[in-house]
Amino acid sequence: MLLRIMRHDWRCLAADRSAWALVALLGAFVGYGVSNGSAWVRFQRDTLATAAQDESQRLADLRRDAEDVDPKAEPAFAWLDPRTPGVVAGTRGQRFATAPPGPLAALDVGQADLYPFYFKMTNRTKQTFIAGDEIENPSNLLAGRFDLGFVVVQLFPLLILGLSYNLLSAEREQGTLAMTLAQPVRLRTLALGKVLARAALVLTLALALSIGGGLLAGVDLRRPDVLARLGLWAATVAGYGAFWFALALAVNALGRPSSTNAVVLAACWIALVVVAPALLNVAVTSLHPVPSRVELIGAIRDASAEASAEGSHLLARYYEDHPELAPASSAPVPADFLVKLQAVQKSVDETIEPVMARYDEQLARQQALVDRWRFLSPAVTAQEALNDVSGTSLARHKHFLAQVDAFHKEWQDFFIPRIMRRERFAPADYDAIPKFRFREQPLVEVAPRAGAALIGLAAPAVALGLAGLAALRRYPITG
Amino acid sequence: MFEAVGLSKSYNGAVALDSLDLAIPAGEIFCLLGANGAGKTTTINLFLNFVAPTAGVARIDGLDVVGHPLETKRRLAYIPEQVMLYGNLTGLENLGYLVGLSGAEEPSDAGLRAFLADAGLPAEAADRRVKTYSKGMRQKVGIALAMAKGAGSMLLDEPTSGLDPKASNEFSALLLKMSEAGTAVLMATHDLFRAKEVGDRVGIMKHGRLVEILETRDVGHSELERIYLEHMKD
Repeated sequence: MLLRIMRHDWRCLAADRSAWALVALLGAFVGYGVSNGSAWVRFQRDTLATAAQDESQRLADLRRDAEDVDPKAEPAFAWLDPRTPGVVAGTRGQRFATAPPGPLAALDVGQADLYPFYFKMTNRTKQTFIAGDEIENPSNLLAGRFDLGFVVVQLFPLLILGLSYNLLSAEREQGTLAMTLAQPVRLRTLALGKVLARAALVLTLALALSIGGGLLAGVDLRRPDVLARLGLWAATVAGYGAFWFALALAVNALGRPSSTNAVVLAACWIALVVVAPALLNVAVTSLHPVPSRVELIGAIRDASAEASAEGSHLLARYYEDHPELAPASSAPVPADFLVKLQAVQKSVDETIEPVMARYDEQLARQQALVDRWRFLSPAVTAQEALNDVSGTSLARHKHFLAQVDAFHKEWQDFFIPRIMRRERFAPADYDAIPKFRFREQPLVEVAPRAGAALIGLAAPAVALGLAGLAALRRYPITG
Repeated sequence: MFEAVGLSKSYNGAVALDSLDLAIPAGEIFCLLGANGAGKTTTINLFLNFVAPTAGVARIDGLDVVGHPLETKRRLAYIPEQVMLYGNLTGLENLGYLVGLSGAEEPSDAGLRAFLADAGLPAEAADRRVKTYSKGMRQKVGIALAMAKGAGSMLLDEPTSGLDPKASNEFSALLLKMSEAGTAVLMATHDLFRAKEVGDRVGIMKHGRLVEILETRDVGHSELERIYLEHMKD
């Protein structure tokens, strides 16, 4: 019976030109979204390729220059000598710590364009490299990209509502409802059949178009977990779609005319997709404001100025604290500014630390608040989930930053003893310079968040659907 | 066959139907006459279970329509004043869908075409979109549906209003054919002439009450009109 109703509904939709127009529009939006997403991924890959090329070229040049140095001749300036550790660590031998685009970044850029995805590692403080930004179109950054995630979160509900705001009201207004219900079929069955028919159609289209588009845009199925992530993506889209269908059903079940349904549903869309995320944003930034960036930069400057002023003094104290790093009396590198700089950096680091920590704490509080309140708006829930599974979320960025932190430490552990002991780089040392290897955020970190989002989408969908079906008991079939 | 026992319906205290007692056996055509708002359509909606009765029961083939909503509709055909169909689909597709909902094996294409032909729909019209149909043609799809369902009971709500005399006459002939085959028919109408022509009995309703029942063979056209108008006086 249900299948007959669904087949009939498909036939009616197929015979209706406006349904085709909506589908074509969805196709166009998906295509545009995917092409935007893949443009971002291409940009990110190209940038990383340029960085990698720059790095290998620089290191090759450095080694060549080091080999060319006449070992018997003393260089005029240590800071021009390719064998001076401070030179390798801070300028000529710097390596990049890079994160590749998320596994499904072509589908959902998310906030990835707000976060830096490569850092040039240095022996200096974290502050000197962490704040490097891409130069980007600021209006793009503000509004977010027109990617597939945007299509799914913002436009997909409109398509669903466009197809189902008059699910039952149109049948009543045309008079076909009475003809249909004079046959042995329950109104509940009819409503369910119609919803399922449209949901099957829209979801099949949305998933086929988006996954097909993603594959065209270069989502690599061979990368680990990509299939599982695509599955989570599909489940999120399905859950989000189910919510909007259930809402349309519930509103239809109230028995109002199509025009009323359209207004009510449009109001719901505005409230849930436009207003709620904006309110959440305002709430988050006003409850847990991030300290001003100017304050941070001021603190760094003060600390640096202070530390530089007492450079020699700091250096002496450094050696008192670290007797094991005391240079041999025959150390080849002079105690010039590169060595002092290292001692100064350490002092600056210690001063800045609490300011930076406050920054991170506030950001963590903001994210915790979003995590808790995202369930108020299915749009926020879905967007967060899509970002998570695509590898473009804040969590994934933090995962990257933690690796960068570890790499920074590894870098410092490798260079600082050499700098402070005022040794020269031996040929083998160049091979031993630490390399950064990005490890993707594991699925076990992503799946629980995405799973919670799925429950957060499915629970209201089921509740609305059941409420709608229950309300159909009082549905006015005639008049 | 139809049966109403003490069947009543009020909307927020306003009485639309006041304890209707009526039995229409198989093969009988019963015409309900009355002014707008007399309770004719309410009676039909109660038999369709579209509205719930305030008191009393409506039965089809002895089954309470509230207790057995699906079973009674399997035995029922309904032709409203305007048979509204899916305009973008053809007559054949519409019929196939509605017959299919009856739960029975969906009849073959040829079977459906035969029903449409029996109902008097021109063969070329079966594959045209219903949007292009006249009211009479849509009525014929309704009749074909009743025949395809093999409905033993038919509810008609002013089926001939707005039909031209020829179409109306054809419709009456179809109705008589079905009644001869044993279908019980309850028809609400304003058309005294049709009621006298096709009806076995006519009932006159006023303010929700069935005030008089007449055997049509006992009254002439003018007498029926006189009695009807008599009742309409306040």
